Amino acid sequence: MMGIAIVVGCILGVLIGFITPTIPYTVSQYLAIGIVAALDSVFGGIASNIKKNFDMKVFISGFFVNAILAILLTYLGEKLNVDIYLAAIIVFVGRMFNNLGIIRRYYLGILSQKKNKNKQIKKEETDN
Amino acid sequence: MKNKNAYIAIAIVCVILTAAITVQIRTMKEENSAVSIIGANSELKDSLLEWKEKSENAEKDLDKSLKELEKIRQASATNNNNAEEKQNELKKYNQLLGLTDVTGDGIILTVSDSNAESTSIDLSNLLVHDTDLRNLINELANAGAEAISINDERIVSTTCITCAGNVIQINGNKVGSPFVIKAIGNQESLYGAITRPGGYTYMLKARAVQVEAKKTSNIQITKYTGALTQKFIETSK
Repeated sequence: MMGIAIVVGCILGVLIGFITPTIPYTVSQYLAIGIVAALDSVFGGIASNIKKNFDMKVFISGFFVNAILAILLTYLGEKLNVDIYLAAIIVFVGRMFNNLGIIRRYYLGILSQKKNKNKQIKKEETDN
Repeated sequence: MKNKNAYIAIAIVCVILTAAITVQIRTMKEENSAVSIIGANSELKDSLLEWKEKSENAEKDLDKSLKELEKIRQASATNNNNAEEKQNELKKYNQLLGLTDVTGDGIILTVSDSNAESTSIDLSNLLVHDTDLRNLINELANAGAEAISINDERIVSTTCITCAGNVIQINGNKVGSPFVIKAIGNQESLYGAITRPGGYTYMLKARAVQVEAKKTSNIQITKYTGALTQKFIETSK
């Protein structure tokens, strides 16, 4: 179900992306940092869904506020001639890996459970 | 129900995310050629600023050491009568070389690019060129000017006036229109030489270049800020 939602969303997004016109180069760096924030939100959403503590308000507000803060940081960094956006990228990517770890463990757990069940079934068969 | 909402929200964010990524990739592909040029430009700008700073620092250092030298000379002159004579001689020669600030009566000539509409075919005619400045300097020197500067760039024995695109380089420094040419000398002869019928300013005015000559007293002309060095010449015996 989750996989279907993501795949459909991605296909729709690519189609929309090809229709919309390209943006000026100066804006593109803000969009790039926004993309990293959105990617973080997606991973966070999937992880919280697995942990069964998904909250719509937290998810949506996190998506927008994170992206806006990252863009503002980039803008400030450009004015101060300091690459502050690197800090935002480090935080986002770090969280992405954390969330990825949660997702990975969950599915590994399911896999190992299935294997154990199979083994048990086989054992029972041989015992009989 | 709650789960369904979560899937929809994640799908919507995925739509936004992939749309943004696609737009970004397309933008980068389009701008790639322009980006490299912009990058090279900014690098060049940076290095230019760096060199400018270096040259400014060097100029300051030179100024400092010149002042120190002056102090040392004065200190040594106070001890010795003979040295004082030498000191005066030195001052005179420095003045001749253009290494001192000088004041005196003379004329101030302001030359600037024409602001007339470009009726002529050759736009170049409306601008002040390096050759124009050279010719004006020639006229002034010919009329007996003792010290000349253009936009505070002192004309000395090693001065060269060259074209550098949309500006003119004098003593290696860039100057732009309007050019304020200060000359100290006999006011009447300088003014006469500049404004005589058929003279160079006549030709400039015919090209619609703005020229204005003014007799002025107590003109301040600053010293040559560069270094006069000689590596190859020796006094012949």
